[in-house]
Amino acid sequence: MVCMSGRSTSRHTIQVPASVDHLAEVRSFVRDCVADFGGSTRVADDLVQAVDEATCNVMLHGYKSKPGDIDIEASLRDRKIEIRILDRATTFDPTAAKPRDASRPPAPTRPGGMGLGIELLRGLTDEVHHSVRPDGGNELTLVRSIDGPTQEE
Amino acid sequence: MAMTIDVARLDGNPPLACVALTGELDASNYEQVIDVVRDAYADGARGLVLDLEHLTFMASSGLFALHSAVRIMGGETPPDPEEGWSALHQMSMDEDAPASTVRLAAAQEPIARVLERTGMLRLFALDATRAEAIATLQGA
Repeated sequence: MVCMSGRSTSRHTIQVPASVDHLAEVRSFVRDCVADFGGSTRVADDLVQAVDEATCNVMLHGYKSKPGDIDIEASLRDRKIEIRILDRATTFDPTAAKPRDASRPPAPTRPGGMGLGIELLRGLTDEVHHSVRPDGGNELTLVRSIDGPTQEE
Repeated sequence: MAMTIDVARLDGNPPLACVALTGELDASNYEQVIDVVRDAYADGARGLVLDLEHLTFMASSGLFALHSAVRIMGGETPPDPEEGWSALHQMSMDEDAPASTVRLAAAQEPIARVLERTGMLRLFALDATRAEAIATLQGA
């Protein structure tokens, strides 16, 4: 078993290698966490989608398919689910991507290509924050209310 | 969860391929879908039904596969995932009507939501059932 996970009352962690073959583990982890926090299936669906897109970007755009690890932490605070995605990859900020022109038909790009995945990431969460880690790598934080709808709804 | 792909060939006018996806479609397996559609076209299929009844998750890479499927069924070469982004963008701008050769059947709610949220329903029509999708393509 390559990934490891730790559970406490309200904070869960998992580490996975930076390979798309591990995305299913990441999704399963997020779904379990949301269930443990008491979130609905809808909240779980949205966060699973957002975290998959964000993690896939790290794997393909950040690590560029080279070996590396990704740490994911999920916690519940003040009725908000916060998911932090930490890597040691090249610095990149997915929140800097320009929004799609909604008047145009969509143009899906390759996985990790910063296209519709970023749009999903933004639309399915209430907040997305990026920062460069002091000792190198990226920290991406996704925040989603466990109760309310996303900002788009 | 891994994804399995089942392909059925339907004679008629036009000949169709029904591709049923089961499981989760993500960046690890989206190229399999493109390969299957390419093979179906090479085998004579000129219409495609993607049966999504048992698909529980679709990442944006899956949207890329759907987009490629439209292009393949239109007789074009799908864009190389590593190249040709400007061509792909150009293609999308030229398309402002649902694809006439590819239909999506029985999409579950989470999948339909992703398609809607990303604007992909401008490119694809959703059918409630596989039979409906087949009937629409073959004009029954």
